[in-house]
Amino acid sequence: MALVHLDVLYQVALRWTRNRAEAEDVVQDTYLRAFRSFHRFAAGTNCRAWLFTIMRNELRRRFRKQAREVLQEDPEDLDDVEARADAGVVGGNPEEEFLQSVLHGDVDRALNTLPHPFQEVVVLVDVGGLTYQEAGHVLGCPRGTVMSRLFRGRARLRAALGRFAREHGYVKEGE
Amino acid sequence: MNCAELRASLHPYVDGELTVGEMAAVEGHCAECRACAEFVRSEHEFRQLLRRQPREGAPAELRGRIVRRLRREAVAAAARRWAFVPAAAAAAALVAVILMPSYRSAPPLVVELVDKHIAYAQMERPAELASSDNAQVAEWFRDRAGLYVTVPDYSPSGIRLVGGRLADAHERKAAYLLYEKGRTLLSVFMVPVSGNEAEPRGRRVAYRGHEYLAYEERGLRTVSWNDGRTLYGLVSMLDYDALLECAERLRLERVRQTRL
Repeated sequence: MALVHLDVLYQVALRWTRNRAEAEDVVQDTYLRAFRSFHRFAAGTNCRAWLFTIMRNELRRRFRKQAREVLQEDPEDLDDVEARADAGVVGGNPEEEFLQSVLHGDVDRALNTLPHPFQEVVVLVDVGGLTYQEAGHVLGCPRGTVMSRLFRGRARLRAALGRFAREHGYVKEGE
Repeated sequence: MNCAELRASLHPYVDGELTVGEMAAVEGHCAECRACAEFVRSEHEFRQLLRRQPREGAPAELRGRIVRRLRREAVAAAARRWAFVPAAAAAAALVAVILMPSYRSAPPLVVELVDKHIAYAQMERPAELASSDNAQVAEWFRDRAGLYVTVPDYSPSGIRLVGGRLADAHERKAAYLLYEKGRTLLSVFMVPVSGNEAEPRGRRVAYRGHEYLAYEERGLRTVSWNDGRTLYGLVSMLDYDALLECAERLRLERVRQTRL
């Protein structure tokens, strides 16, 4: 029997929860909810995006229950504030050599430094392999918002990886 | 196009999100602009780095747990009200609906009707209009969706009308009639079609001088035919004799109504 999207749902859940046991629970509940609300799934529409939407709602439900503030209800405020902070980061340095020397675990560590709305979209697109449109469907926001968060999220990710590379001593300060 | 204008397109370009025309514009620019070409190369490399990250597959144990859980759920759903799928096939069939979405992309119409038969039967109130009054149900479809629906009376065969609901099939409004014989559910669909656009599925069966298509899908029997304007599809666990008799009665009733 093929649970077609299981691996990718699990990988995204793992990065969103940062905890194996919780990721497993979330994925299992996602399939169960999908099964129960199957009659609401319109045939021919995107099953993968539908499953991710259910999983994200499930996570939000859990986080709310645990009164964690990791998931922010309204990232729009953040978009304004963060946009200024990003000004110096976007674009990156094309000469960066550190990409060759990123250590195992660095990417996860860097992902964890991203503000949630950025992390969420970077994980959906770059880990989950969703298109901009699918990610917008899952996050309930327009394609343009997906793009702006994704690009800024990636720029921040690069910056964080650059910092780690300097810590590891692969790249000298100022390089 | 200058670099500033193009920058906004470079990420979507690397992500394969541009149209062919937009891609050509980016490529044309990058052939002449070293800075933008370098940006694209660097973004490509970064994306590959993200994709190269070791990824854990879901543990086999989790996979097994989910499948077992869904099976239990399917059996429970099947036991709730109607026998709408063969008991033995119930779990696997229902689970397969969720688990094989790629196959759902554009299934033949009759397969889509089987999916709906299964999905609706699990709803708390599958009939939007619960009524055993044939005329009332027909009128409801007319008012609600402008569909001219024939609601045959199967009560002489012990098959009771439960009600109707609007369904979508092949991305258009269709009529869905629910009947029950004891605990066995019979679904009757009427889908507006033009000509023979709906891909026929099944083997030809002659019954009282008329031809029908008989097709089995996941343990369910279907009988369908197309009069050039409407595709009629019956889905049930009832045997073919009963289904063909119901089909024949619907056909006759339909012809009688059209003549009026």
